[in-house]
Amino acid sequence: MSARGELRVQDLSVRFAGQEHFLFSVASLEIAAGSSLGISGISGAGKTTLFHCLAGIAKPNTGAICWDGTDICSLRDDALGRWRHQNLGLVFQDFHLIDGLSALDNVLLPACFDSWRPAPAVRERACELLDAVGVATGERMAAMLSRGERQRVALARALLLQPGIVMTDEPTASLDPEHRRQIGDLLIELVRSQGATLIVISHEHELLARLDRRMSLRDGQLQLGTDQV
Amino acid sequence: MRCFNPLPVIRADLRRNLLLVWVTVMLVALSVASGIAVISQERALRQGSARAADDFDVLVGAPGSGTQLVLSTVYLQAQAIPLLDGNVLLQASAAKGVSYAAPIAFGDNWQGHPIIGTIADFASRGGTLAPAQGRVFQKRGEAVVGAAVPLAVGAVFSPSHGTQRAPDGEAGHADAAHAGLTYTVVGRLPARNTIWDKAILVPVEDIWFVHGLSGSRAGEATRHIGPPWPGSALPGVPAIAIKPDSVSSAYQLRGQFRSTRSLALFPAEVLNDLYLTLGNIRDVMSVLVITTQLLVVAAVLMALLVGFLARRRQFAVLRAIGASRFYVFSVVWIEVLLLIVGGAVVGCLLGWFGSNVLSYWVQSQVGFAMPVRLGASEAMLVAALLVLGAIVATLPAWLVFRRPIAEGLVSG
Repeated sequence: MSARGELRVQDLSVRFAGQEHFLFSVASLEIAAGSSLGISGISGAGKTTLFHCLAGIAKPNTGAICWDGTDICSLRDDALGRWRHQNLGLVFQDFHLIDGLSALDNVLLPACFDSWRPAPAVRERACELLDAVGVATGERMAAMLSRGERQRVALARALLLQPGIVMTDEPTASLDPEHRRQIGDLLIELVRSQGATLIVISHEHELLARLDRRMSLRDGQLQLGTDQV
Repeated sequence: MRCFNPLPVIRADLRRNLLLVWVTVMLVALSVASGIAVISQERALRQGSARAADDFDVLVGAPGSGTQLVLSTVYLQAQAIPLLDGNVLLQASAAKGVSYAAPIAFGDNWQGHPIIGTIADFASRGGTLAPAQGRVFQKRGEAVVGAAVPLAVGAVFSPSHGTQRAPDGEAGHADAAHAGLTYTVVGRLPARNTIWDKAILVPVEDIWFVHGLSGSRAGEATRHIGPPWPGSALPGVPAIAIKPDSVSSAYQLRGQFRSTRSLALFPAEVLNDLYLTLGNIRDVMSVLVITTQLLVVAAVLMALLVGFLARRRQFAVLRAIGASRFYVFSVVWIEVLLLIVGGAVVGCLLGWFGSNVLSYWVQSQVGFAMPVRLGASEAMLVAALLVLGAIVATLPAWLVFRRPIAEGLVSG
């Protein structure tokens, strides 16, 4: 499998509308394909905004964000949606599953964005992923799952289409300590096993410590190392 | 554009918001049902009343209200109308262009069923209406009953005076019953789905006799019924139904009997006036129905808008994980449209059922059948609602379509 997910960020800056100062700026950042990066920072530092920018969900005021040579800041909205669908897997703090769907249908959801019916191979992969994350019965409704199970399903959903990039925003923050460790293990193992680039926004030092690189957003700058939160 | 499947998300949303779904569907359904009921009832009333008047080409009565004459004869509504000079009946019977001129004499009943004195030609509609059982009366004391009269052929009954059934306690009261007079049922007419199905037709001579109107004719009338009537004078009758032999004759006869002594009219003329009024009422009702539908659509839209805004994070997540703007637009648009289509389907069924119930009740009141058929107007109403719904559904869909993902993700 050829490695995907090489990131180059240049002269990135974000400023909220009506504010004089930048929330943060990133002069330069490079991540090799298939590696992992953890980003920490105090509340309000702009971690989630940076996450949104890197995922193509929000646009920075200046700068370029190039994933595998494609500057996603220059893409139009529909092309950006297509890029996210083909390249990116996202895991949120609050899982964001659709309660009225089963665990399996939640995992299969990204496949519905570009086909009427998921191909048998995609279905098979969804079942394998559910097995891998330890949710045995995919037919259970999402609303019936525990928080730990919901995050496992969300992780399986993010990995369904074998994205080159997996980004997570506080993936373990709303879980109890035991589930934190399990989800952290699964996240790192599964992403590494498919050779994808992993970016984790988190306060969890234990999780961040297991990643290739750690940076923190401090005083409006992305710096090497982690904060003591 | 990419092929996609929004149905899983739509299904999940509808399943999760069952209360909102039911309330929306029922609101739309009630709105559609009321519209369909108004339109179909107006049409049924128009068709039913027009069909009931088919047997009365030209009506002649004493000068007065044409509407009253039509209501009393065509629809057998019990009203006291002045008697027409008997000589007019003689003239009408002998007039050129007349197939038959039938006296319509009422005033008696049997257990609430009006007894109408007339001639055999009217009972058989000039030979075009064969009895379902037996035959038409041929002599005094015989009767032919409508399809809805619970008297078997061969049954004998006594008439009561008046057009209404006497209260139970007075059923055998001497004043109410015509002592000594009986009729024998000799035939039953097929169902015509008019009030005349409840009527009992007897020779008019019996009505004259029992009401003491025969005068010097009493003796000879025991042997002879119907035209040509011997002698130069006849008792008065409330109305005459003339069957002309052609359309031009109908107009000639109407002109001929419009005088200071008599009133002649086509029942259709009176019905047209009634339909105009009915049409005006329908127009007012239509405005009310359309207003109601607009209000319902607005209420539904508001409810759905609130629902969709509450789920803006879900739509933002869908887009964040790769759904296109058109995907979330489709989810919202199809959801709204499904609710409106569902409401329209349930509303059509409710409207049809309600209209039939209403027709059944009105039929029991006015006597003529009011067949309910859904027509182009109802289809237009539903189509207009669907088109309006499809347009209105674009509003919440567009709001979701336009909303930035990041804003949706951080919203509560």
